[in-house]
Amino acid sequence: MTVSQISVFANSKPGHMGRVLDLFEAAGVSVRGFSAADTGEYGILRFVVDKPEAALAALQEAGCACVITPVLCLKLEDTPGELSRVMGVLARCDINVVYSYSMISTYIVLSTTDTKRAFELLSGEPVVMISQDDIARFVADRSEKEAVK
Amino acid sequence: MSAPAINVTEKGGALRAAAEGRFDALPIYKPDIECAPREQIEAVQLAKLKDTVAYAYERVPYYRAKMDEMGVAPADIQTLADVRKLPFTDKAVLRDTFPFGLFAVPLDEIRELHSSSGTTGKPVVVGYTDDDMDIWSECIARLVQMAGVVPGDRAQMAFGYGMFTGGFGLHYGLQRLGCAMIPAGSGNTERHIQMIEDYGTTVLVATPSYAMHICEVGEKMGYDWEASPLRVGLFGGEPCPPGLKAEIERRMHIVCTDNYGLTEVMGPGVSGECLAERFQQHIAEDHFLWEVIDPETGEPVGEGEMGELVLTPLGKQGIPVLRYRTHDLTAVHTEPCACGRTLARMDKVRSRSDDMLIIRGTNVFPSQIEDVLTGIDEVTPHYHIIVRTNRGMDELIVETELRPEAFSDSMASMEALRGKIAEKLKSTLLVAPTVRLVEPGGIERAIGKAKHVDDQRAK
Repeated sequence: MTVSQISVFANSKPGHMGRVLDLFEAAGVSVRGFSAADTGEYGILRFVVDKPEAALAALQEAGCACVITPVLCLKLEDTPGELSRVMGVLARCDINVVYSYSMISTYIVLSTTDTKRAFELLSGEPVVMISQDDIARFVADRSEKEAVK
Repeated sequence: MSAPAINVTEKGGALRAAAEGRFDALPIYKPDIECAPREQIEAVQLAKLKDTVAYAYERVPYYRAKMDEMGVAPADIQTLADVRKLPFTDKAVLRDTFPFGLFAVPLDEIRELHSSSGTTGKPVVVGYTDDDMDIWSECIARLVQMAGVVPGDRAQMAFGYGMFTGGFGLHYGLQRLGCAMIPAGSGNTERHIQMIEDYGTTVLVATPSYAMHICEVGEKMGYDWEASPLRVGLFGGEPCPPGLKAEIERRMHIVCTDNYGLTEVMGPGVSGECLAERFQQHIAEDHFLWEVIDPETGEPVGEGEMGELVLTPLGKQGIPVLRYRTHDLTAVHTEPCACGRTLARMDKVRSRSDDMLIIRGTNVFPSQIEDVLTGIDEVTPHYHIIVRTNRGMDELIVETELRPEAFSDSMASMEALRGKIAEKLKSTLLVAPTVRLVEPGGIERAIGKAKHVDDQRAK
């Protein structure tokens, strides 16, 4: 179970991330989490979105350098030591976390050197892994709750 | 059994004729002179040179004074080598005599004025008589036939008209051959593509960088270049990198040639590419006497060696220019060409003696950078060079555009690509550059001359 992440090459200049976001907006794509890593001159923008295929198509249509990458998405308990425990599982099996970012408070995204094996390892651990559908459900539930209030 | 006939007016026909060595399928505008024995070409040149020198001496006070000062008279020109007795003409002479100081005829005999685009300074103004216009259009008719353009072709102009010689020069030459001109002018790329489709355009005249832009915009619009009536691209206005031309040919499904010329001696039409020698261009030798000199000493270089091209237009009436120093570096070859022409071929100009950059004491030509980038699959042929002073040292920055398919989610592989490009540039240039990766489409496409170098160092 992985989540499809969209990565985009962007120059580190004002407005360049905005252009990507405008394309998402025009394609009716919602961003659920993101990170922006840079080298100074350029960076890689990474997004978890509700409609990865539509997002990729919109970016490709606009001529962007972009790819779709499977990543793991974990939902952690909000208690001390949880993050360390998860990282420890992977480290003991020599799987490197190449980058990681937090999505929705305790929802974190991991990209590792061996995503398939990392998934198998973590499946055997007390940690919740979520799918693209879970993200959609989470957002839907939350809006429902807010509507009830 | 003979091979099936090749029709060069069919899409792909000209390239197929060239690939199969069947140059008889390709038209030659004026075989009497384009395929004449060398002795005959040289005899025509010598007769015209004598007349040209006498004409300049009689009619242009600048040349009379200069020749008197050097102690040379028109009668001293007895062989082609005697051209070396004459003074050089530099762009500065044309600027200093602005606007009409070098004109050899009264203004009422001039039919058209043009001026240079002023890429490297103030404009230079030139004038053409009826005869000059006639020679000019003939030179263009010759070079467009080298690409397989025939009477009846429909040629769409994507150069701006205006004072620049490229627009009107190609316009007159294509009409002279018998083509229908579609004078669209520069800009409005989507309209260009619409016109190609609506009017059945078969020939596009553009700078190579603008042709690439038209190609990309068409692809984005979903235009099918393979099914398009467009068959030939005629490029000029800026040097055409071989990699860029090959890419345009592949993506637009057309055959492209480029030609060489400069306003000071006429405009486009001095030389043009045939399909046999794609890295060289045939010089219209019956209208231009060429020399290749060492730019430092002014002395001729050996046969076929690289040096600065010097041109003397033969029989030009409006402005007779003697030994014009082009500052363009090339080598000229006189062996007959597989296409059937005997007119000498010059290597395509890839660099100018004055666009050389000196970086930390090492000579660097933008064309070298272009060649390295063309050989790297992960980047496009578009680039931009910045030279600046960083902590008292020259810094060479090369911006290159990432191809979308070369992108991966890994910062490490992007950095490895950047390192690979820097390493390849360094081994060719002997100067370590800073490489910047730019988003696809992030380097500006020029409609006129592409400006590749931004030298920010204090002069």
